Amino acid sequence: MISAILIFLALAILFGILLGYASVRFKIEGNPVAEQIDNVLPQTQCGQCGFPGCKPYAEALAKGESEVNLCVPGGHEVMIQISEITHREPKEMEAEPENIAQKIVAKIDEDICIGCVHCIKACPVDAILGATKMMHTVIESECTGCEKCIPVCPVDCIAMIPEEVTPQTWGWPEPTPQEAPLIQTFPPKD
Amino acid sequence: MTTTPTRTFKQKLILGLSKLYPMAKRALYRFHGGVFPRYNKELSLSHPLITDFIPKTLVLPLQQHVGVITEPLVTLGDLVLKNQLLANTEKGLAAPIHAPTSGKIVAIEERTLPHASGLSGLSIILESDQKDQAIENSLDVDGSIPEMPDKLKALIHRAGIVGMGGAGFPTFAKIPSQKGQIKYLLINGAECEPFITCDDVLMQTRANDIVQGALIVAQSLGIEHILCGIEDNKGKAIKAMQKAAKDTNVQIKVVVTAYPMGGQTQLTQELTGIELPAHTHAIDVGVLMMNVATFAAIYQAVIHGNPLTSRYVTVSGLGLNHPFNIDARLGSSFKELALLAEPKTPLTYPLIKGGPMMGIEMQSNDVPIIKTTNCILATPPEPMEEPMPCIRCGECMDACPINLLPQQLYWHSRSHEFDKVEELKVFDCIECGCCSFVCPSHIPLVQYYRFAKSEIKHIKQEEATAELAKKRHEFRQERLEREKKEREDRIRAKKEAVKQKAAQKASAETTETEKPKANAAAAAAARAAKARAAKNGKETPPAEPKLSARDRAIAAAKKRTDAASKPTESNTTTPTKKQKDKPKDPKAAAMAAAKKRAAKAAKEKHSTQADATASTETDATDTTDTMKDKRAAAVEAARQKAAEKKRAKQSEQPENDSLETPSVATKPSDETTATPNKASDAKRKAAMAAAKARAKKQQSKTTEEKT
Amino acid sequence: MATIPHTSPFTHNASSVRKVMLQVQIAAFPALMTHIYFFGFGITIQWTLAVLTLIIVETALLKLRNRPVAPYIFDLSGLITVTGIVFCIPPESPWWVIVSGVTFALIFGKHLYGGLGYNPFNPAMLGYAFLLISFPAELTQWTLPSEVSGHHISFIESFHLIFTGQSLNLSFDQLTGATPLDEVKTALAMGVPVTTTLNSTNFNGEQIPYGWAWINVAFFIGGLWMLYKRAIRWQYPVGFLGSLALIAYVFHWIDPDTYAPASFHLLTGGIMLAAFFIITDPVTSSTTPLGRFIYAAGIAVLVYVIRNWGAFPDGIAFGILIMNMFVPLIDQYTQPRVVGYRR
Ligand code: SF4
Ligand code: SF4
Ligand code: SF4
Ligand code: SF4
Repeated sequence: MISAILIFLALAILFGILLGYASVRFKIEGNPVAEQIDNVLPQTQCGQCGFPGCKPYAEALAKGESEVNLCVPGGHEVMIQISEITHREPKEMEAEPENIAQKIVAKIDEDICIGCVHCIKACPVDAILGATKMMHTVIESECTGCEKCIPVCPVDCIAMIPEEVTPQTWGWPEPTPQEAPLIQTFPPKD
Repeated sequence: MTTTPTRTFKQKLILGLSKLYPMAKRALYRFHGGVFPRYNKELSLSHPLITDFIPKTLVLPLQQHVGVITEPLVTLGDLVLKNQLLANTEKGLAAPIHAPTSGKIVAIEERTLPHASGLSGLSIILESDQKDQAIENSLDVDGSIPEMPDKLKALIHRAGIVGMGGAGFPTFAKIPSQKGQIKYLLINGAECEPFITCDDVLMQTRANDIVQGALIVAQSLGIEHILCGIEDNKGKAIKAMQKAAKDTNVQIKVVVTAYPMGGQTQLTQELTGIELPAHTHAIDVGVLMMNVATFAAIYQAVIHGNPLTSRYVTVSGLGLNHPFNIDARLGSSFKELALLAEPKTPLTYPLIKGGPMMGIEMQSNDVPIIKTTNCILATPPEPMEEPMPCIRCGECMDACPINLLPQQLYWHSRSHEFDKVEELKVFDCIECGCCSFVCPSHIPLVQYYRFAKSEIKHIKQEEATAELAKKRHEFRQERLEREKKEREDRIRAKKEAVKQKAAQKASAETTETEKPKANAAAAAAARAAKARAAKNGKETPPAEPKLSARDRAIAAAKKRTDAASKPTESNTTTPTKKQKDKPKDPKAAAMAAAKKRAAKAAKEKHSTQADATASTETDATDTTDTMKDKRAAAVEAARQKAAEKKRAKQSEQPENDSLETPSVATKPSDETTATPNKASDAKRKAAMAAAKARAKKQQSKTTEEKT
Repeated sequence: MATIPHTSPFTHNASSVRKVMLQVQIAAFPALMTHIYFFGFGITIQWTLAVLTLIIVETALLKLRNRPVAPYIFDLSGLITVTGIVFCIPPESPWWVIVSGVTFALIFGKHLYGGLGYNPFNPAMLGYAFLLISFPAELTQWTLPSEVSGHHISFIESFHLIFTGQSLNLSFDQLTGATPLDEVKTALAMGVPVTTTLNSTNFNGEQIPYGWAWINVAFFIGGLWMLYKRAIRWQYPVGFLGSLALIAYVFHWIDPDTYAPASFHLLTGGIMLAAFFIITDPVTSSTTPLGRFIYAAGIAVLVYVIRNWGAFPDGIAFGILIMNMFVPLIDQYTQPRVVGYRR
């Protein structure tokens, strides 16, 4: 009896030490929650979540002041990720992004643009260049496609166009379902 | 020195065994895996080489290589001669394009590219006159072998030579610029794809060109060992090459016929025993491998001054009655050549570019031959077995020459776990197709890997963009904060100045006591400005060009304004008046001016009348005003121009002007976009963004004033 | 039928899952013949029963899961599963044994996990383990080889035995007895040394159980043919048999009275069946070359442990099932070196 107790005691101490060691040795540097969330947000900065940008939304989420399903461009996937990070129940998206497959960018019709600089002020990432009364241009590679510049344009000269596919940016499609095996995945190993 | 294809006893034993157990052949070579497909090479070898076929129209895509697209140097209607330079660019990695025959440029337009996507790209369309008049020695060489690598590189570049084995990497970029960096020069004659025989025929007919080409490269790069690997199923080619290599230091090595023997990693390992480390260039370990066709092209360029305008192409496949090899002009249409080979059934099915193992199905049959096209395959589609689930049999793993785990790659690709796919080194997959070839479940494995690779690249790109957007947004946020603060500062300073002025006026005569106060206020404002300037200066040292660009724009605008109508003039003169009204205090002004010089240095260069006045007799507030007015002038000018533009759209001059200005302004941002992904550039980018932001800050200030 | 694939390669070596499975079936044929020779026609009846069950259960499940039936039945993978079970159970065991075993194996071993390619546990062994636990009595009553019992069971007799449990003229007990493994174990428990048991009548005084040995040899021959045909990988039999022989040899050397010789271990029970037909099932085993070896060796160790110290006479089923659980782990740590990388 005594020996059994002693053995268990010894085992308990041993595992305690092991666990303690492991927790020190393999410690995962924890990002602050807000930063973690910010990292999964699409950084479109569109404000559709009701916050002035992705970071404020992330901060609000971290404080638990906001719903997990507000980021429209991020869609379902981001929502799931957020709820994982914040350990909250996933919630269905209210609005789905229309076109997730293709990146869209703003393009200013340079013949119509009157150079009012409204769009420059609206753009959250400074992707529009131009001076007052001069024609404006969108830097395509920096535009996030947030569409914030569209409503502010007094002459409606901004259109969202899909980014053009070139042989360099073209990607192979996934093998079609009919080509793919017909059986669904077995849960991934870990 | 030559080696005869004698076999060791061990090899003979294994070969004997392989009759019983085919996979025993895998023990005959050094790399892992490999498969033994049916070669069908006799199809195209049984008909003679065609050399005199000149198609009516040639389509020459402006991008036939890895790198940037070339720009056409000819215009519509130009008459060109064979070997004439048609397109080139200095913008980056590229290979110029020459006319494959004489004729007329009938169009420069988008045409479908021989690319898996079926997308189109800008191409020069050349209508041949069938005379085939050539410019002899169009590269202007004297037939001597360049002694320095740089010279050779330049010449190869001018000749438009790219790797002709398939990848299309411009050859000059592959060659090191130092002598003696390469130990082994490898000639790849191991054409391992089934059906393709163009290299075989090239070695049979132009062995001398190949050997001499290799000797040229070896001589100018100072390479000692030249090894040529040829698969043992090309007896005639081996003989021809051995004859040509007699009395030279080119060693002809006969290697076993196995797929993918012709892969760079595989053949290098087979010939030299060196296993190319991943993520390094072959030249870093002293190996340079090129295809036989590339060497022949180098020979033609260096000795005869002929650029790359034609190449050997195999036209073969089970659907053709008369498969052949052809010395095809670049730009010949796939379809035309396939028709020349008398298809058994109408060509209603897609042709394949390349061989059956790695080839790519074309979306359109009317695509041109480019520098990298080695084969056109016409094989009518056959019903194939339906893909089954992976049974983890491991055949694919045993066949993979890279020793990857194709089945695991496949599972993760299919369930979109791309991080795991990457961990399993999908980017080392050479897409050789061995795994799909042996998979009993008929899974399109290679397509899964291609898909995964595309997706991973896409995701990386997206992450980079998101990161950039985040940075830019944060910066903007910061900028807005700062602006707000600055505005508040300014308003406070102004208010104080106004107060003082009022006080001054009130005690009109007894100025002496009041002055220090005014001085103090002015000095305070100046200090604030200085601090701001210093901050900006510290933040944005590399942003100078940007500033000056903007200034240039402003100056230009101003000049235009000066020439323009009265209201603008009154605008520009306002500050002078204002300044005159100001109480003069030379001492304080001098002090402020000195303090402010740092901030203003750049601007003073472009100083106009107003600026000059400002710099001599101004205080801080005034300078700001001057700046504002300059901007106002620019604004006015722009407005006028807009009006003008609206009034007379047909007049070109103003339109051009308006185009000019933004393009100047965009320039720095172009620089930013050129390197959007490099994290190391973050600092520079931040600085750039700062500069841009500042420019915009001023613009928006202007707007505020307007409203 | 789909048309030509849209990406390379546009050619194939014409292997298919069906061909591989067929090869496995063919390789089992010599063993089947030997089995009939020694134990009578019981196995053919069992096999027919099993195939019928297979067809019914597979069809029903594929229909339930909304999958096309034909390609998945004709891939013949189910056939391998039932063959594995059939060879494991006594040839004269009642009909419901095989039916329930096959049903269990297919439902719980295969389709619940998503069908072919996705099952983590070897379905045949899962079915067998289920039977072993549920009907231990039936499964330990093996028909004695005709040489031992002195009677060759005819087809009719087998039929009667299987479906009625009654023999026509002989008593059931006369025909059946414990398997050699069982016998050794029971004897050991009673204090009889292994050598004595092995020399008793049942073993023909040859140290090696007679009929069993020949069946194992037949499996071995079939296995070699499969190796030649590349239907299975060499790592499995080599790793399994090698490790088992080694362990058995070492223990026998230490204490010949308690531990049977290596030859006994290699040639009794379903060792050869397991080595070439069961553990070689690619779906449930490791996929890396080294992993396969470790997997096979692990099973060998477990088999030996269970045979000598476990509660069951033979440990193949449990050994395999336990090692199945370790497959993901083995896979993870035995990834081969990719060309161009250093370890
Ligand atoms: S809705 Fe827009 S601003 Fe809000 S988190 Fe999503 S992308 Fe960012
Ligand atoms: S340019 Fe328009 S769509 Fe693009 S990021 Fe700026 S505001 Fe959004
Ligand atoms: S060859 Fe095919 S079935 Fe076999 S493991 Fe590879 S992917 Fe799976
Ligand atoms: S395609 Fe990739 S994974 Fe498949 S065998 Fe070739 S290199 Fe290996």
